[in-house]
Amino acid sequence: MANDDVKDKQVINHMPSSSFAKEVEQEFGGEGIMKCIQCGMCTASCMVASMTDRYRPRQLIQKILIGKREEVLTSDLPWLCMTCRLCEERCQEDVNLSEIFHAVREIATREGYVPKSFQNTVDKVLEDGWLLNDAYTDFIEDDRDDLGLDIDLDWNNEFVKRVKKRYIDGGKK
Amino acid sequence: MTTERKPKSIADGGHSEIKSNEALVVGGGVAGMQAALDIANQGFKVTLLEKSPSIGGVMAQIDKTFPTLDCSACILTPKLSEVSRHPNIDLLTYSEIKSVAGATGDFRVRVHRHSRYVDEDKCSGCGDCIAVCPVEVPNKFDGNLGFRKAIYTPFPQATPNVVTVDKKGEPACRATCPAEVNAQGFVTMMRHGKFDEALEIVRRSIPFPGVLGRVCISFCEAECERGMLDESISIRNLHRFLADYERANGAPAVEAKIDKKDRVAVIGGGPGGISCAYHLARRGYPVTIFEKHEKAGGMLRYSIPEYRLPREILDEEIQRVVDMGVKIKTKTTISSIHDLFEKGFKAIFVATGAWESNRLGIHGEDSEGVVHAIKFLENVNSGKRVSVGEQVVVVGGGDAAIDSARVAMRLGAKEVTLVYRRSHVEIPAIPSEVEDAKEEGIKFMLLTNPVEILTSKGHVTGVRCVRMRLGEPDHSGRRRPVPIPNSEFTMAVDEIIVAVGQSADPRGVQNELDCSEWATVKADQVTLATNIPGVFVGGDVFTGPQTVVKAVGHGKNAAESIDRYIQGIDLMEGRAKDRHRVQSYEVDKENIPFESRMTMSKQGLSSRKRAFTEVELGFNEAAAIAEAERCLGCAVCCECERCVEACTREAIDHSLHDEVLDLHVGAIVLATGYKLFDVREYPQYGYGKIPNVITAMEYERLMNAAGPTHGHLVRLSDGKIPHSIGFVQCVGARDVQKGVPFCSRICCMYGTKLATMSKEHHPDADVTVYYADLRAFGKGFEEFYEMSRTRFGVNYVRGRVGEIMHDKKDDKVIVRFEDTETGELKNVPHDLVIISPGVQPPEGLDDLAVELNMSLNEEGYVSIHDAVLTPVDTDVSGVFVAGCADGPKDIPDSVSAGSAAAMRASIVLAKIDREE
Repeated sequence: MANDDVKDKQVINHMPSSSFAKEVEQEFGGEGIMKCIQCGMCTASCMVASMTDRYRPRQLIQKILIGKREEVLTSDLPWLCMTCRLCEERCQEDVNLSEIFHAVREIATREGYVPKSFQNTVDKVLEDGWLLNDAYTDFIEDDRDDLGLDIDLDWNNEFVKRVKKRYIDGGKK
Repeated sequence: MTTERKPKSIADGGHSEIKSNEALVVGGGVAGMQAALDIANQGFKVTLLEKSPSIGGVMAQIDKTFPTLDCSACILTPKLSEVSRHPNIDLLTYSEIKSVAGATGDFRVRVHRHSRYVDEDKCSGCGDCIAVCPVEVPNKFDGNLGFRKAIYTPFPQATPNVVTVDKKGEPACRATCPAEVNAQGFVTMMRHGKFDEALEIVRRSIPFPGVLGRVCISFCEAECERGMLDESISIRNLHRFLADYERANGAPAVEAKIDKKDRVAVIGGGPGGISCAYHLARRGYPVTIFEKHEKAGGMLRYSIPEYRLPREILDEEIQRVVDMGVKIKTKTTISSIHDLFEKGFKAIFVATGAWESNRLGIHGEDSEGVVHAIKFLENVNSGKRVSVGEQVVVVGGGDAAIDSARVAMRLGAKEVTLVYRRSHVEIPAIPSEVEDAKEEGIKFMLLTNPVEILTSKGHVTGVRCVRMRLGEPDHSGRRRPVPIPNSEFTMAVDEIIVAVGQSADPRGVQNELDCSEWATVKADQVTLATNIPGVFVGGDVFTGPQTVVKAVGHGKNAAESIDRYIQGIDLMEGRAKDRHRVQSYEVDKENIPFESRMTMSKQGLSSRKRAFTEVELGFNEAAAIAEAERCLGCAVCCECERCVEACTREAIDHSLHDEVLDLHVGAIVLATGYKLFDVREYPQYGYGKIPNVITAMEYERLMNAAGPTHGHLVRLSDGKIPHSIGFVQCVGARDVQKGVPFCSRICCMYGTKLATMSKEHHPDADVTVYYADLRAFGKGFEEFYEMSRTRFGVNYVRGRVGEIMHDKKDDKVIVRFEDTETGELKNVPHDLVIISPGVQPPEGLDDLAVELNMSLNEEGYVSIHDAVLTPVDTDVSGVFVAGCADGPKDIPDSVSAGSAAAMRASIVLAKIDREE
């Protein structure tokens, strides 16, 4: 991969480029990656960055641009964007960061790198049909009953089963 | 109003097919000046056109130039005087291009020349007028930081060195007033507590500040621009205050100055007649008013009740007119207008009014207990003992009806009911009077019309009414009342006052003139001339029953006509109302806090209900000044004419007007300059909301010795010295999303210049520049940046600023950014933050492009024919470009382009010379 990068830079030497950046550019949503000039406007606008020192959207884009494929895909950083799009609103180069991170997640998922917490969430939905099954108690059931609401909330279990059957377990009807 | 001047070549008898070897340079900035000088020095005539009052452009605003840190004004000023003294340069400042036609060698340019209201040949720029001007507006030249007067020169070295009056036209208040009272003028004077001067301004138009201050319908307040924002200015009460203030503090004695021989007669001593006599007396004419009643004052005295208009106010204001030399002959009925001419009067003003009450025209109207409003009010007001019944009904909704109802209440009626056929929306009386009447317990029976008066033994016993509903609007614009079938009902009453309008006396003296079927005189709307030369008419006998201020306005206009008639001047010339009325969008209403109008204090309900003492008590001094402060000053110049008095060279003339002139030129150089990006489009930077976040141009003026702080670098919010200053670069430049993808070229360097200058002002201050890329691309620029960084110690941080926040506790401005060299996210507090906006094409360049049939590029700049080989040629032959009109440039590049464009233009001109 390092060799590929060198070759690419010889061809287009006026923009930071790597095979990984090109791969992201090919992915749906990742088209704008090459427009970034690394000014830092995104980090200075980011809600998540203001809460944690780990997450810096500019540096994440930088890692993509310089081709740190493994590091980016195995990291949970692309998964931390909460898609508020404030960075996109302010970006003077019109880079669509949350779309790019979505594209990166697509690639990571295809290669099996999904952070544990995200995997757990998906598994839970596939299992229970919804996320809050464990938190659902008969106290809530009673409250709902008092309010005249339907107490049976696992209606989408059936739907999830069908989705699972059709798209995950072999795709047969 | 504008007048037109013929182009020189046509005026000289030249033929229009002959090509011109003169040039036009559009824009008087440094590039335009250079182009004009270079063409002029080759022997060609040049017209230099500039939109603003002075040439000099943006360079005149700049403190220092980069990279040498030379004083901008020191370089520019010699050029300014060179341009103004050059025999081949014709300077047209305060002018704009209206249209362009023709092709190279033969351009026909039409120029709109705004009036400065100052004779440029007479004005010496001494500034005596500036000191006395009461109007202060934000100083545009200082980036709106400080204030300037309405009469001003933008900067001390302004060229041409003459003052300019900033006047947008006629404000709504003045344009609406039938008597043309200069409301903005006297209100502005009141702001400064100059009540005598304010009163003098009111008296230029009306003799009745106290009377109209009480009874005027105030059309002005309905149109007042402040009313679009919250509530209109209380203009009527303000001039009432002026009159009250003068009474309380002793009025100076009036001297009669009758210096003319031609005698004028006025028939009718009402508001119209007295107004006419007043204005004629001001002009020095001997006037005699003939009044048939015991005292002068007309409807003011015999119709308006005393609780609204105390008689001593009226008496004093009439006495002032008498003191001016006007003779009033009371108890004199004039039976023939012709006789007056025979008695030696040169001109006659007829203002006999409309004193006949209209009749309802229903059964029982002549029975005992039915009175008509004018007769009723006249009896009460002339001091006769009048008794009213217990149950009184007043029919009508005008001021006479409300007055009659309130008078009846005061005379002891138990219950007064006002019957009006339309709803409360259409009621024509003054709204505050309606409110007062309601408070006093008068019942309003709206959408009701009497159909029959019931009588017993010749005396009223009741009235039969029908309910109405509102149908389609009629010719007056009000919805026409339509009776509701089978809704009749009867009320028991013992007195009915009919107040359904008045009309002129059909047997009155005006019948000698050409009259309409309603006995009103037919006359010209503007000059008020009747069919008999020398006889003029005004007031209710001309228009039918109207309001006091209209009659007063007619008096004023008639006085002008009579003056012209006696002098033998054309009556109509220059009198058509064509002054531009200031439109709502022209008035800056931003950042004005909501503020209600001053409430008028009133006499208590219990004491006033049965008494004839005045209800409204007037403003005190503080309230009057506070109310005057609310005025928006729509027209900027308020025409108080203090400047005219101050000028010793008689250079200022407020009656001047805009001009249109035609130019014939062979080549055009466009040096229209640029405008700075409006940083308000970046809400995250808080410009306009956070104090101490300012733009680079404002900072430039702040540091300039001729600026608002005389060169002291302080924070404008608290006057403290800023110890920490931040510069935010690339705002409104290189921003794809804001439609300005290109680099503005100059921001990095002027940011560096300002940062360096900050260090020169306060060497201990901490100065930081936040940038994305630093583009120091020109000769000496990189060295300049290095010097700023190393010798002056300016911090440069790579990272665009995400947002700017306000720390209210410590009064700091917090800049949030990522230091991209370390990856740290920081919130850094500063005392002052300067935003460096990018450059944009100037406003109006697109219109000019349409006129020239020239194309602009995507960014809105003039597109260049060939950027490499002909960098100053546009795609229209004979039109060249210099300065920032084709893209952002620094000063040296602009000047080079100016010279280049001048050379290209002179080639065109020289070829024309050779052809001839």
